[in-house]
Amino acid sequence: MREIKPRTFGAWLLIGIALIYATVLFILPMIAIVQGAFANGIEPLLETLSEPSVIHAFQVTFVLSLGAVLINALLGLTTAWVLVRHRFRGRKLFDALVDIPFVFSPVIAGYAMIVLFGRDGWLAPPIFPIVFALPGILLAKTFVSLPFVTREVQPVLDSLTPEPEEAAYTIGASRWTTFRRVILPEIWTALLYGIVLTFARAVGEFGAVSVVGGNIEGYTETATSFVFRAMNDRNNVGAYGVSVLLGVFSVLILIIMNLLRRRMTQGVRDVDSA
Amino acid sequence: MAQAVFNPSGRAASRTQTPSYGVWGLRLIALSYLVIFIAIPLFVVNVQGLRFGWDAFWRSISRTEAANAIILSVYTSAFMAVVNTVIGTLTAYVLVRYRFPGKGIFNTLVDLPFAVPTLVTGVMLVILYGPQTIIGSFLQNELGIRVLFNTPGVIIALLFVGYPFVIRTVQPVLLNMEVYQTEAAQTIGASAWTTFWRVIFPVLRPAIATGALLSFARSMGEFGSVIVVAGGRAVTGTMYIYTRVEGGDMQAASGVSMVLLLIAFGVTIAVDLLQWRRNHA
Amino acid sequence: MSIQLERVNKSYGVQPVVRDFSLEIETGELFVLLGASGSGKSTLLRMIAGLTEVDSGRILLNDQDVTHLPPQKRGTGFVFQNYSLFRHMTVAQNIGFGLSIRRTRRQVHVQRVQELLELIGLPDYGDRYPSQLSGGQQQRVALARALAYQPSVLLLDEPFGALDVKIRVQLRQNLREIHKRLGLTAILVTHDQEEAFDIADRIGIIEQGELLEVGTPSELYRRPQNLFTATFLGSTNILRARRNGKSVYVGDVSIPAPPETDHLTGQPVEVLFRPEEVELSTVRPAAQTSVIGSGTVENIAFAGPILRLSVRLASGETIQALLTPGEFRERGIEPGQEVWVSLKDYHLLPTNTAAEKTPVAVTETN
Repeated sequence: MREIKPRTFGAWLLIGIALIYATVLFILPMIAIVQGAFANGIEPLLETLSEPSVIHAFQVTFVLSLGAVLINALLGLTTAWVLVRHRFRGRKLFDALVDIPFVFSPVIAGYAMIVLFGRDGWLAPPIFPIVFALPGILLAKTFVSLPFVTREVQPVLDSLTPEPEEAAYTIGASRWTTFRRVILPEIWTALLYGIVLTFARAVGEFGAVSVVGGNIEGYTETATSFVFRAMNDRNNVGAYGVSVLLGVFSVLILIIMNLLRRRMTQGVRDVDSA
Repeated sequence: MAQAVFNPSGRAASRTQTPSYGVWGLRLIALSYLVIFIAIPLFVVNVQGLRFGWDAFWRSISRTEAANAIILSVYTSAFMAVVNTVIGTLTAYVLVRYRFPGKGIFNTLVDLPFAVPTLVTGVMLVILYGPQTIIGSFLQNELGIRVLFNTPGVIIALLFVGYPFVIRTVQPVLLNMEVYQTEAAQTIGASAWTTFWRVIFPVLRPAIATGALLSFARSMGEFGSVIVVAGGRAVTGTMYIYTRVEGGDMQAASGVSMVLLLIAFGVTIAVDLLQWRRNHA
Repeated sequence: MSIQLERVNKSYGVQPVVRDFSLEIETGELFVLLGASGSGKSTLLRMIAGLTEVDSGRILLNDQDVTHLPPQKRGTGFVFQNYSLFRHMTVAQNIGFGLSIRRTRRQVHVQRVQELLELIGLPDYGDRYPSQLSGGQQQRVALARALAYQPSVLLLDEPFGALDVKIRVQLRQNLREIHKRLGLTAILVTHDQEEAFDIADRIGIIEQGELLEVGTPSELYRRPQNLFTATFLGSTNILRARRNGKSVYVGDVSIPAPPETDHLTGQPVEVLFRPEEVELSTVRPAAQTSVIGSGTVENIAFAGPILRLSVRLASGETIQALLTPGEFRERGIEPGQEVWVSLKDYHLLPTNTAAEKTPVAVTETN
């Protein structure tokens, strides 16, 4: 559909409705929280943010989220490849499994992990604890952010024509070289986009992380768990401050996502102009 | 936003040769990944739910609090899905059809709920609608609407979280739509509204439905934002599960988990069927 | 060096696509495999390259059995019909890909890429991307890329099929020159008969997975051994006849039998003659030897440099004839006129040679 300049009253009305709704839903809350964070001025805010428990919470969050990203990037890419390139019985079923985290409440996921890995759990680990410990949080973050890489890469992988790959084989490139130099360059934008989504989701996760990790301050408390606790303790500055920080992080993610998305649609246009 | 269902063209699979050991190696990795991270938790929840027998299961979910929690989840998610359908379609149309100042930023902002931690969403709403702010006190004192710790709060949180779904499923369809159809309608003399309703909308229907169902499923599982905003009289299914797990009542937790899962699944299957029908129409 | 195919078979499910295919191609030959869509020609080429597996049979390149080797190890160059260039690499990077994976020394690499760019006539295009090139230019780059690492065999799968007619003609001439210059063995697969005639040393006709006939363009056109070949390549007139002794009897009239058809004595035969070999005149020719009778001119069609005439013979069949405008004017032929038909050149095939359809008097396949 072609883009036009709005000329009628009706058009402006529609635009107005869309914008006003979005403003009320988004902008107002964002303003409110920034106000709340700076309510007592900058000094107390910075103090709160440099508390050791806050810093530790952020460390836990970012390090474990990166871990989740690593796992999901590698395995998600493999999964996308297998689902697109391979034919086997039950493929559709496995494909459907990928979507589960979209609809699986994180709280339920956390609960399932407790049943599995808790002290009396089915697969209670002998050596190191999983539940109420960092490994559990890693698992939780991995679970909730699982689908993104696979789902973003799949369509792009599927849209690749076979000729460049086959040409590479006849030229003498091994399968791995062909993957590295012919296929990967075509999918890396989608892959990166998936990774960014994965990271954002992992960082923002609360439900599963809270259930599995137990929100133990200084140990398994993540940034989001900290906010939760701060709210309950009426530590407004702490809660709002960390929230704003997380919010800033989200906006950065948004900007990167937008850049990548524009790059992805651009690539398609280049081919058509040939 | 990624598609909910993937239907590969099969082109690549049929032409590329694969040596046996490599194939099985990759396949094993991918499938184990999915089994470990997804199939097993699924399995666990269902087994736990029925572990103590059907009676115990039924009792655990028909308890007043449990039943109310489930109903509240369904009700608020459905309400949100309906609102989202209308606003989402409208917004998607506006984003594709018109050029206006700030459009680029707006388009980026649509993804905000995907990037913002849900807990932060809850906190933002608490601040905005709490009784100490202008809006909060206005709503409470003048209109008698209590937003926080009440159903309206849950709904607003879900509206935030579910905002992008319909928009992002409808946008690509609109973008790909061929211009001839609307232009033909215009030359025939159809008004803008008629053109939309009778030429464009029918094409969008499946995408809208998909987006609405996805946002519904997502909201059924939403936790981070509602746990902050709700409480008191408004307890959703996920909140109920959380409190049960914290309190050690695994039976109740698993019962409600299963029901929520079933509902979410039913919805996902409906989405898949819709997409399947669209691709095979 | 050569290419040998021994009884190669391939089926997709129950559908055979290549049947018992055997062929030998000489070193340095430009061989064209000509067939309609779905005839199995592309599948065969891909099997030679190793992109598709063989069900049974052997493929030998330079006397080495490569039947079970992956494409990487066969040392062939392959040019696809389209979309095969690496989109994210420049023209120079595309061409140099084969050198780069062979760890060619930088100086040699750069020099070779430049040589190839000049060979294909795009010396300044090294830094461009495929999306900035026209279809014809892209195919030239694809060719250069396949030649860069000096393969012993070049395989081309309908390389000009997606291009405009004028470019097609130009490019296939370029290909022929390059081929001569480099002395490669090449197989080109196409459905375009003109293309095949233009550049082939020899042509192989493939239909429904089977190799029907192999020969030089001239041989196949003038002396096809197979009814399908005759009708597939250009237009042909076919008349039923009987061969006896030294003559061929078309109805009541007899014409001399070509000496090479002695083995067909006493058999029913098909007389094949091309429209351009038909002589028409308004007066009875003095030399009666190749007259097959008289007929009426039914239709005259203008086709640029020539005129196509349909002539209905006294025996009822209609044949096609070609005349230059000069000849036409000279002889004063008009529609509805009675003319004498004689043949300058003709060929015989036994009646039961691989005829899928019942013989028709005229077939126009172009």
